[in-house]
Amino acid sequence: MGFQDVMKDIEGYQDIQRDIEILKKYGIDYSSQRGSVEHSINLFHPKKIRLGVSEIQQETGTTRTLRLVPKDGYLPPFQAGQYINVFVDVAGIRTSRPYSISSSPGQTAYYDITVRRVSDGFVSEYLLDEIRVGDELESSGPAGTFNYNPLFHGDDLVFLAGGSGITPFMSMIREVTDRNLNRRIHLIYGCDSPDDVIFAEELARRAENHPNFSWDLVISTPPQGYQGLTGFITAGLMKQVLGDLAGRMFYLCGPEAMYAFCDKELSGLGIPKRKIRIEMYGSPRDVTRQPGWPSGVKAEAVFNVAVKGKKIIEARACEPLMISLERAGLAIPALCRSGECSLCRTRLLTGKVYQPAGVKLRKSDRRFGYIHACMAYPLEDLEIMI
Amino acid sequence: MPDYDVVVIGAGNGGLTSALTLAKAGRKVLLLERHNVPGGCATSFVRGRFEFEVALHQLSGMGSPENPGPLRAILGEMGVLDKLEFVEMENLYRVVVPGQFDITLKCERNLITRELQDRFPKEKEGIVKFFDLVYDCSMQMIQGLFFHDPEISKEKYPLYFKYALKNTQDILDGFFDDPLLKAVLSIYWSYLGVPPSSLPFGEFAIMLFAYIEFKPYHLKGGSQALSNALLDEYLRGGGEVRFNCAAKRIIVADSRVKGVITEDGDTISTDYVVSNASTLLTYIELIGREHIPAGQMEQFKSSTIGPAAFTVYAGLDCEPGEVGIQETTNFISTTTDMDGAFGKWKTLEQQGVSLLTCYDVSDPDFSPPGTCQAAIVALQYAEPWYSVPPQQYYDTKYRYADGLLNLAERVFPGFRGHIEEVEASTPLTHLRYLGHPGGAIYGFDQYAKDSTLFLSPRSAIKGLYFAGAWVGSGGFQPTLTSGRTSGRAILKSMRKQQ
Ligand SMILES: Cc1cc2nc3c(=O)[nH]c(=O)nc-3n(C[C@H](O)[C@H](O)[C@H](O)COP(=O)(O)OP(=O)(O)OC[C@H]3O[C@@H](n4cnc5c(N)ncnc54)[C@H](O)[C@@H]3O)c2cc1C
Ligand code: FES
Repeated sequence: MGFQDVMKDIEGYQDIQRDIEILKKYGIDYSSQRGSVEHSINLFHPKKIRLGVSEIQQETGTTRTLRLVPKDGYLPPFQAGQYINVFVDVAGIRTSRPYSISSSPGQTAYYDITVRRVSDGFVSEYLLDEIRVGDELESSGPAGTFNYNPLFHGDDLVFLAGGSGITPFMSMIREVTDRNLNRRIHLIYGCDSPDDVIFAEELARRAENHPNFSWDLVISTPPQGYQGLTGFITAGLMKQVLGDLAGRMFYLCGPEAMYAFCDKELSGLGIPKRKIRIEMYGSPRDVTRQPGWPSGVKAEAVFNVAVKGKKIIEARACEPLMISLERAGLAIPALCRSGECSLCRTRLLTGKVYQPAGVKLRKSDRRFGYIHACMAYPLEDLEIMI
Repeated sequence: MPDYDVVVIGAGNGGLTSALTLAKAGRKVLLLERHNVPGGCATSFVRGRFEFEVALHQLSGMGSPENPGPLRAILGEMGVLDKLEFVEMENLYRVVVPGQFDITLKCERNLITRELQDRFPKEKEGIVKFFDLVYDCSMQMIQGLFFHDPEISKEKYPLYFKYALKNTQDILDGFFDDPLLKAVLSIYWSYLGVPPSSLPFGEFAIMLFAYIEFKPYHLKGGSQALSNALLDEYLRGGGEVRFNCAAKRIIVADSRVKGVITEDGDTISTDYVVSNASTLLTYIELIGREHIPAGQMEQFKSSTIGPAAFTVYAGLDCEPGEVGIQETTNFISTTTDMDGAFGKWKTLEQQGVSLLTCYDVSDPDFSPPGTCQAAIVALQYAEPWYSVPPQQYYDTKYRYADGLLNLAERVFPGFRGHIEEVEASTPLTHLRYLGHPGGAIYGFDQYAKDSTLFLSPRSAIKGLYFAGAWVGSGGFQPTLTSGRTSGRAILKSMRKQQ
């Protein structure tokens, strides 16, 4: 007797065998479910979304909002504060940049992104100068973790925004006020000059109409005779405009100089870490000034990076590896471009890179030699595997 | 010459050990993974200063170096033992019925028996007899099945042949009256995904036996460290891998594997494919209707897609003790009606049984100093989530997570006030990251009829093999084992061809 036959002696075997025969006739026909898994994924996280520009709104001298509508009729839901990564071909280079969605998640017809000109910016210039109504763009699905989380954020929120860092907050403010949600928001918005204030009118209007939203503007380089708050968002200023700080959740989004500064001010005020949310907002402008950058490596230094099985490329020390790869026509998967989502996880075979402190590497990835190429800067010649 | 000897689709546990077994034997192997990290379920993600473990709660079958279990042997063979640091858990588990009952079982048969007898004095005798049966039945299963006794028979292994397919509930009812005791003893049913009333006793017994005898384990760096170590060893052995690269088609001609087409449109020729993707999608999506072997779709008809999970990952800004977490493994049960609890897996109602695991209790280095993390998990089917409109998805998810956090708060007062990071995942999250129907983490439902006693994992397509939860049981130990099995089967077939 073979093994399978012996097994038939197990008590109950025959009954189960009978059940199976019946089920084979009347059970589930799975052949009709072709495509259903992919469909479920695409409802929330399509790999790519095709978008058309339906409207362009001038916000300030340097800022425009692009209204993006789906080419295929459907946009996945997002949480206010999330971003999309916009893919572009600029000057023959395939690259991408994440932009927070500034419209409300209640708006299912479009995503707004609000783009500010960055001095010597590559993609921002392209989006502002080249893109016209009717053009097509491609993006990732919505992503990111800088969103309101009702599980522990409470209902008393303080937003600290700097410059274009207002965009994720705008989505949150719009959502809370449009839906009349039971949350209180106070926004402290720092800008260089009164001309730079994005969404000024709308913020004023919403503050007037909704008792649960209020804001203060802080101008760092005020023109002569400017009436209003000036300087930086300091501990003193926060205490002055916010009063009692206990129990409030602080959110921070803006240029990197603001993080270091506000973070210090907040801990000075005794705000615990669990009450501070920070949006990683791209790679640092000047990585050589980050703590821990080795003094021996100059920003202009150029290294050879051997991409296993592909080619050897040149990479500048002051540029994230991801960009050097893109310049060489070797675009790798990208999403946050801020070191936190791990989509660009790349194996470093030899050589040393610098990764700023905020990079969210898994412990074992670090141990087994992986880097996040969007926030890894070469310090010598490298060999990598993509 | 084909481009590769073998293409392995999917870098989950099964895919990894399969690929590694083949690469170690000198075969030219290509591993394709649709996601950007290896591991499938066996992975982690980072939020703030926390790296959250996705799947591994209690690793079974490890055993100590002195008393090695089957999994330790396999990982040794894979060459990854010295790259990893395993942590033995002190206790088996704690079961809390909030406000009513609380018990912690040690990891030793005698101590468990004594503790249970103290708490359930009326059931004293039954407790001894129950463990006798669990142990005797398991021993017969090990000798007869795992060691492949050629003389296996009903006469030689009477307990196994009598009880293996009985349902666990009947056995419990035969020994005990107290529903609480039955719930405490059978709580591992939630690891197997089938309630005691339909769980084959043989499977339940061997699981309980193995956790007690080989102890539950975790490892430093979590399951991602294991996945990374397996992949590292594979690459060292000359294996190749492509991430962010799903297999789109398996090319079949004359009922033989000919190659694989990737999502980037690359065509790769090979005579052997191991699929760690679900068997179902491997046939209906990758192979395509015209090549599905006769009878295959009929075989699927008798199976149902198994559960996924709803998990809340919480990072706290305090040590576990500060909120009263003393155990790694805490089952929280608001009911003793396990069928009722299982029924809720198909709804969005609050669950009857959930599990709170705090890795930092066994491994103080798991989270940054002064912090800890807890995963609160409740198994759940994807069905109720399919009918949530996308626009209400996030609200629904938070509402559900809120219920689990409130439960945690009841058992561990102060828990919520210490949350620094929290993330929730639904069955749809697993569906997205694994690409499996229903986000199923154990493959098909594992009723008696779904065991390998009745279903053969072999394919009628020559050169097509499977590894992972969809051909056998889910869980780390079974899936890691299954990859080695399919790898070996291919090596054997290759030897025959030569
Ligand atoms: C929350 C949770 C808790 C759990 N707790 C435990 C526990 O405590 N103990 C335990 O033992 N088990 C536990 N498990 C179960 C265990 O993790 C799984 O059963 C096991 O990891 C499954 O392994 P697998 O080999 O089947 O592969 P999977 O993990 O299912 O991976 C399959 C892989 O294939 C890839 N893939 C799919 N389709 C394609 C394609 N077309 N092309 C390329 N790649 C593809 C996927 O991306 C994935 O990486 C838990 C699981 C979860 C989610
Ligand atoms: S793109 Fe997100 S970590 Fe690099």
